[in-house]
Amino acid sequence: MDQLPARPPRLALPDAEPVVALRGLTKRFGKVLANDQITLEIRPGRIKALLGENGAGKSTLMGMLAGRLVPDAGRMEVHGREVRFASAREAIAAGIGMVYQHFMLVEAMTVAENVLLGQEPGFFLSPRDMERRVAELAAQYRLDIDPRARVGDLSMGEKQLVEILKLLARDSRVLIFDEPTAVLTPAETFRLFEALWSMTAQGKAVVFISHKLEEVLAIADEIAVLRSGKVEAELRPEEIGSKADLARIMIGKDVLLEVDRTAAEVREQVLDIRNLNGLGLTDINLDLQRGEVLAVVGVAGNGQKALVEAVCGLTQPPKDTIFILGKPWREYYADPDWKHTLSYIPEDRLGLATMRNKNLVDNMLLTTRKGFRSGPLLQKARAVADTRELVRKYDIKPGRVRVLAWQLSGGNLQKAVLARELYREPRLIVAEQPTQGLDVAATEEVWRRLLDARDMAGILLVTGDLNEALQLADRVAVMYRGRVVAQFPVTDRDQVDKIGLYMAGVTDF
Amino acid sequence: MDWGILVALLAAAVQSGTPVLFATLGEMLSEKGGVLNLGVEGMMSVAALAAFLTAYFTGSPWLGFLAGGLAGACLASLHGVICVGFLGNQVVSGLALTILGLGLTHFFGTPYIGLAAPGFSKFAVPGLADLPVLGGILFRQDALVYVSYVLPVAFWFFLQRTRPGLAVRAVGEMPAAVAAAGLHPLRLRLFAAVAGGFLVGLGGAYLSLAYTHLWTNGLSAGRGWIAVALVIFAFWRPGRAVAGAYLFGGVMAFQLRLQATGTNLPSSLLLMLPYALTVLVLALSAWRGRGADAPAALGVNIEPEG
Amino acid sequence: MPALRVIKRDEPWRGGALAIVLGALAFSLGAGILMLAAQGKSPVQGAVVLWQGTFGNVFALEDALRKSVPIFLCSLGVAVAFRMQVWNIGAEGQFALGAIGATWAALTFPGLPKIVLLPVMFLAALLAGGLWALIPAWLKLKLKVSEIITTLMLNYIAILLLDYLVFGVWKDPTSFGFPMTPEFSPAAILGPIGGTRLHWGFAVCLVAGVGLWAFFRFTLLGYELKAGGEGARVARYAGLPYGFLVGFVMTVSGALAGLAGCVETSAVLGRLQPSLMAGYGYTAIVVAWLARLEPLPIALASFLLAVLRVGVENLQLEMQIPAAYGMIMEGLILLSVLAGQFFQTFRLGRREG
Repeated sequence: MDQLPARPPRLALPDAEPVVALRGLTKRFGKVLANDQITLEIRPGRIKALLGENGAGKSTLMGMLAGRLVPDAGRMEVHGREVRFASAREAIAAGIGMVYQHFMLVEAMTVAENVLLGQEPGFFLSPRDMERRVAELAAQYRLDIDPRARVGDLSMGEKQLVEILKLLARDSRVLIFDEPTAVLTPAETFRLFEALWSMTAQGKAVVFISHKLEEVLAIADEIAVLRSGKVEAELRPEEIGSKADLARIMIGKDVLLEVDRTAAEVREQVLDIRNLNGLGLTDINLDLQRGEVLAVVGVAGNGQKALVEAVCGLTQPPKDTIFILGKPWREYYADPDWKHTLSYIPEDRLGLATMRNKNLVDNMLLTTRKGFRSGPLLQKARAVADTRELVRKYDIKPGRVRVLAWQLSGGNLQKAVLARELYREPRLIVAEQPTQGLDVAATEEVWRRLLDARDMAGILLVTGDLNEALQLADRVAVMYRGRVVAQFPVTDRDQVDKIGLYMAGVTDF
Repeated sequence: MDWGILVALLAAAVQSGTPVLFATLGEMLSEKGGVLNLGVEGMMSVAALAAFLTAYFTGSPWLGFLAGGLAGACLASLHGVICVGFLGNQVVSGLALTILGLGLTHFFGTPYIGLAAPGFSKFAVPGLADLPVLGGILFRQDALVYVSYVLPVAFWFFLQRTRPGLAVRAVGEMPAAVAAAGLHPLRLRLFAAVAGGFLVGLGGAYLSLAYTHLWTNGLSAGRGWIAVALVIFAFWRPGRAVAGAYLFGGVMAFQLRLQATGTNLPSSLLLMLPYALTVLVLALSAWRGRGADAPAALGVNIEPEG
Repeated sequence: MPALRVIKRDEPWRGGALAIVLGALAFSLGAGILMLAAQGKSPVQGAVVLWQGTFGNVFALEDALRKSVPIFLCSLGVAVAFRMQVWNIGAEGQFALGAIGATWAALTFPGLPKIVLLPVMFLAALLAGGLWALIPAWLKLKLKVSEIITTLMLNYIAILLLDYLVFGVWKDPTSFGFPMTPEFSPAAILGPIGGTRLHWGFAVCLVAGVGLWAFFRFTLLGYELKAGGEGARVARYAGLPYGFLVGFVMTVSGALAGLAGCVETSAVLGRLQPSLMAGYGYTAIVVAWLARLEPLPIALASFLLAVLRVGVENLQLEMQIPAAYGMIMEGLILLSVLAGQFFQTFRLGRREG
């Protein structure tokens, strides 16, 4: 993987007064204590990294700062004066702006309309005037974007620029970035870092939320580590010996996030994609055997979704392009068996893989129901018994089968989906971002289960997490703009080192 | 065919299309803001009564027109509070509004059946009325029809060229972006619903003040539902709404003329025409345009956080 | 300021559904009765008359039971469709088509013995209602046309079709110009149960209600319908035949409304006439939502709204209140239930700090 850029020499900043000070902020969601007595100071001209695992409370904290959430206790000060934000509007007025992980953009409107939405008073607006102003702003910060473009047509990197422009247009003094690099190529990440440095050079305070250690070490002036809703440590990058030290503080124990991987026996072919064109994809050729893991990596939005949806039957591919378990797509999907076939573990766990207002038994039946039929009837009692057994075996908390899907935590929900899909003893597993949003323990378990599943199945792993791909995969395919630009075994170190370039579409060296 | 008859028919098409046009634009405004309101039929009908009663008791048709709009806005605010504030199902709430509205109209309107109120009469616009063909079709109408000529342009201008319009469009597409921009998504939705209801109400007022001057129950006769369908047909664009409204006005006028001239066809079959046409038009436009362009967050309520 | 704020419940509010419905009913009754003052009538007298015309009177309750039959059947149908998020608001038209189908059979085969004719009428009604509902289903699936509008337009068309028939080809030549068909032969009449005023339509309700409950609870298809309610994407994920399910629920939904039309025509009117269309199809939507789409609560809610209808008829008779008063009440009940259901998932709490 590419090296992250080295930090340019920093201006020696006097210990300026903090723009924002948080004192003992606390926030609960039901029984969960998301933030517990958080105290932090954010200073102008600095990049403060907020490091923590998923579920450590980073997003909650920033939600309160950005006025989206109301703290249950504690106070916030801006320039030494106590503030209480009842809405995002008030936070923005106080100079605090946020770039969310999921972009808050209106896809059907232009860049200029998005940037100037909710800006300044006045009644009439002129598109030409708006476009000119946004173009000027973009030029001032050397951001390359067409103000007239429809946001829906932009790449993820460009959309992020729109989000940044929104904050700049509002003269925000504190800019908060929530996991900003998750959707970027390494090159785009580099450009983002440069933009952040130039903003701090102009006196803006930046808060950089992440769980990626390398990035935090590369960019931060100050690091605050959040664990289980508490500030675990506040450090400067130079005080940190190694990545492992930082990881230990973040997680609270030694974790290497590496799994033992012994090769599994490779058997018959389970997936064959030949010259797939259409659905936004170009010339896709992939194949997968039982016993191996093929990781499809790339920046989000480069055709992975279309590929997964076609393979998993959500959209219909052109004729004779996809063959599943040896059958053409149409024949396979005409009446697939529930067992020994394809299992799909989607990214959207609550909206697609499960029914949010149904209990675990009903959710278990969603893909296994044909295994519980006798004539026209459904064997409910057996379904309850089997669900109970799965809940026990996979330790799905809170351990009841009558609990509704939306009441489960992300990790437990994913375990439930995994339990159900592995119960079907699939021959082909399509796992899409299987550990996104999970904590370390859950991630490790999902990885272990997937590796174990190689005995029965071939696994198509679609992930944006390179580490995950390299940990689990036998082969890697990199997607860029609807094409597979490179495909190689993980043992090919040369190629593996170039993944970052491939993800950015660079293939000629 | 005789030109005179054709001009008269087209003029009648414009007249009977006008209330549908008001209602279609009203529903479109509400839907642009993300609020699906199936209560148009009930709102139109209550508005027709409110307009009639106001004109009847004050003697002023313009006050009646205004009262119609306000009645529409009142009912729409009920729908708005239930959907925006209490996260009620938008489909069901709209239906309830229609049931309530039709009930209110019959309940309060029955004593006035057959009475007349001062309404709007047709007059020729000096100059324009003498234009060949067009003058006869467009410029020998009542004042409210002339108002309706301006409305689609004003509607477009509001949504595309004003800040509140921009915000309303955004809240129908992605409420979270609106909240992040520091605006108030709930208030904007409520505004779109109520302002849309006002326009729907104006359409209802047209029925009792200009279309007929006599009160009778059941004036709306399905026009509200046709308006809801026309919004889809129009792909949420005011220009196409005009075309759709006059198309339906034409069918209704044609059907009335056929009945008046005495044909062998039973009236119940003729009366089916607009409804059958609605289904047909929706099917055709879906087939041609795949029904895109609906606001992305239409019908989806905004859940509170925290 | 001790501001209140909205908090999502960790667990759904148990017993909340009943509390909400009762609250909504109380609110709507109260508001409705006060509304009588606007017409210059005494609300107190109104309340008394309403009571006397409903629970204060065995005869009225029997009447309500009879009226609850078509409401119950239509509402079952509505609930089946709504469960799959298919917004069939065409029960009124499907009801009309059922009546037309049954009447066709009754007028075409007047000579058949009861044991044959009644099943033929039922079959014709089921088919007519079901096929009528299949039109919007087909348009939804093939052309993505919103079923909300098409089912509604088909209501208008169905009612006009009924008018066309009773004013025209099926008109009784001896009716002195009244729009109605000739009276059915005795073989086409669904008679009373024993010596009561209740007719055998109740047995039909019982069979339909229990059958549907068992269908959803015990069968694979019933489960698939519930799962299909999560939307087309989940359906495709789970390999559910979404198109088939939509067609199936619409057909069942239409057939149930058609059945109601048949029962009402055969057991209550004994002929087809425009007064058949009393808005049961719309009341059914109110009932279905009130009952959260569950069969047993639908039975109770059907009865309650039928009682309301009977009570309003009595008000009309005794105090000259327009019949539309009932629609106002139904609208109010549905709106207040919708607002109340908010508290099923959310509660109000005090803002701290």
